[in-house]
Amino acid sequence: MTSLDPAPLSGRQPRAVRSALAVLEEVVASGSGVTAKEISAALKLPQATTYRLLNLLVAEEYLVRLPDLRGFALGRRAARLSPAVAPALSTAARTVVDHLRGMVRWGVHLASFSAGQVTLIDPDPDHPPSDGHVLARYPQVTALGKLLLAEQPDWRALVRDLRRFTEFTVTSGAELSAQLDGIAEAGLARQCGELRADRGCLAVPVRGPGTGMLVAGLALCGPAHRVAESNEELIGLMRDHAERLAPLLA
Amino acid sequence: MQQDSGRILAELRLRSPVHGLARRHLGPLDVFAQSVSGAAPAAAMSATPVIVAATAGPATTWSFLVATVLALLIGTCIGRFTRRMAAAGSLYSLTAKGLGPGWAFGCGVALLVGYGALAMAALAGAAIYLDTLIVRAGLGAPGSRPVLVTAVCALAILAVTLALVGVRLSARVVLLVEAISISLMVLIFAVLLGSEGSSGVPPADAVPGPGLGGIAAGVLPALAAFIGFEAATALGVEARRPFQTIPRAVQWTAGISGLLYLFAAYTQVVGFADVPGGLAGQTEPVPQLAAAHGRLWLSVLLDLGIAMSFFACALATGSALVRVLFSMARDGIAPAAFGATHRRYRTPHVAIAVALPIAAGVPALLLALGMPAGRVLSELLTVATVGYLVAYLLVCLAAPLFLRRIGELTTPPVVVTAVIVPILLVVLIAFVVSSLGRPLPIVAGLLVVVGAVWLVWLRLRRPDRLAGIGAYDETVAADVFDERQVGIR
Repeated sequence: MTSLDPAPLSGRQPRAVRSALAVLEEVVASGSGVTAKEISAALKLPQATTYRLLNLLVAEEYLVRLPDLRGFALGRRAARLSPAVAPALSTAARTVVDHLRGMVRWGVHLASFSAGQVTLIDPDPDHPPSDGHVLARYPQVTALGKLLLAEQPDWRALVRDLRRFTEFTVTSGAELSAQLDGIAEAGLARQCGELRADRGCLAVPVRGPGTGMLVAGLALCGPAHRVAESNEELIGLMRDHAERLAPLLA
Repeated sequence: MQQDSGRILAELRLRSPVHGLARRHLGPLDVFAQSVSGAAPAAAMSATPVIVAATAGPATTWSFLVATVLALLIGTCIGRFTRRMAAAGSLYSLTAKGLGPGWAFGCGVALLVGYGALAMAALAGAAIYLDTLIVRAGLGAPGSRPVLVTAVCALAILAVTLALVGVRLSARVVLLVEAISISLMVLIFAVLLGSEGSSGVPPADAVPGPGLGGIAAGVLPALAAFIGFEAATALGVEARRPFQTIPRAVQWTAGISGLLYLFAAYTQVVGFADVPGGLAGQTEPVPQLAAAHGRLWLSVLLDLGIAMSFFACALATGSALVRVLFSMARDGIAPAAFGATHRRYRTPHVAIAVALPIAAGVPALLLALGMPAGRVLSELLTVATVGYLVAYLLVCLAAPLFLRRIGELTTPPVVVTAVIVPILLVVLIAFVVSSLGRPLPIVAGLLVVVGAVWLVWLRLRRPDRLAGIGAYDETVAADVFDERQVGIR
């Protein structure tokens, strides 16, 4: 997404990088709502420099300006600086997932979408899913990742490159946009052979009760040709379980 | 502090006040094209130098240089806002964050007049040059009323469709059309300049200079050639990386248009250097130059390029116009329907369906009533220029006040405003005075009255709405990294 300047660091740039990181840290330390002047005073940085760095960090979405335009807070992109830790799952939630596993013969996985990343929090032990790094790096080729992308104002913020894994992989931005629009509308993501030619997945969102915020995704994985079928009963089952998970996760 | 931050995050809205538009959708080129087309350099390259030359004579290029610097300074003032907030209401929404609601309202009305009149003028201009092309093809008599009116209507229908179906589609069309027309213009002027090389005399030596006064008077029309360069500001919500692309698009447009104008002015000044009276004595300098060099095909390309540039300008200005209306509606000071967006296309469809037909109706009516086409174009351009100048003046005045309000004021913004505001004020007054006796003062006076009545009505009926104007794409809960969302238990 972001084109990085290929020129090596030189002159005053190392100091600028250090100052930018210090500004980020200062926003974390002072909490949301800290103003540019306060940051400049705390770091003893010249005001003009601080303002320029803040505008840069806002443009890059590591920081956001709060609605009063004075205060700053960490932006969603800052979440990507820390590796996502799989949060512990409550016994009640685990029971719901296991219940679904007992009813179907496919792999059942539960993933969290916190911090704008796909993190498996309950992968099916009998049907091991794809490598977690692939899930996090290429969300566009998995059903769970597609759910997350469909929720974004602009999916490009979370996609690094449209790499081709199989002949079914979607590699055109316009095609992916159209697909994600469909997913957002249906509340169901389907992926057939886009990561591995013979495998596919269905995924439904788990939304926080009341807020409607996307917190997790529940996926069923199986043979690609079976995933391609309409699977109405299975999807109904998934939606039931996603609904039961919602109060346990949000 | 930490407790504060929890409260601050809890108070964030769940949905942006300008929701419904295609948020974070447009790449840098699309945004850039919007601004370039707003300024329509291809059309101004052939039309403006001769107007500037009327006062500046052989120093025409100097007037353009000064105007370029002024445009860059205005761009800097706009950048103070656009680096910090993403809005759909262009300068209106920005001014609201610096000056009070009354001034912002004035800026909004001035922008509606500016965008509206420029869209009308651009539609008329495109129709005029299409008509010329038709005449060249031997398919009609020049200045035929039915042809002109039909052309305006057809172009307007095309513009409405493009604007309605999606911001990306219309941005792409604008980009393509403007790229072609500018390339055509650069080609034409390069050919003209190249063929003059043998006989070309450096102009400054041939005629005595016009003096500083002449250059200053020439700045007036030269600056008018830049109006519309801020058009990208209306795409704040729809740009993918607004804080980066919008300020850049505006500044680059000012710079590149300036270069194009300097190139065009130089070519024309040199081209007429050995003609008695120089460039100032001409009426249609570029076609004449082309004809003098025996290159009729150049004239055809020229007409095509100008027509395309005008159409792109109408489209870009039209989408800025509807976004100002949209923002005013979301602020609650214009009919609420204008704030509606199409569910699928994510464009302000009601504002488009109302405003663009009006923008086409006015020039179509004037042409149908028999007003000469060239006059329709020039009068509308004059009205547009006044609207823009008022809006620029207010936004430049608002910039340092905005920075002070958010506690980020430094010295340079104050200096820039202190320089640019008096100049813009003088330019504005000179512009109005120079057009005394033409319809402009009457039209402007009428519009001021309409604006004042609207403002008084708002003060009486909706004082709370008026006080709260300036909705922009503010940070919502989903944009913020909130540690409470992370821990799933």
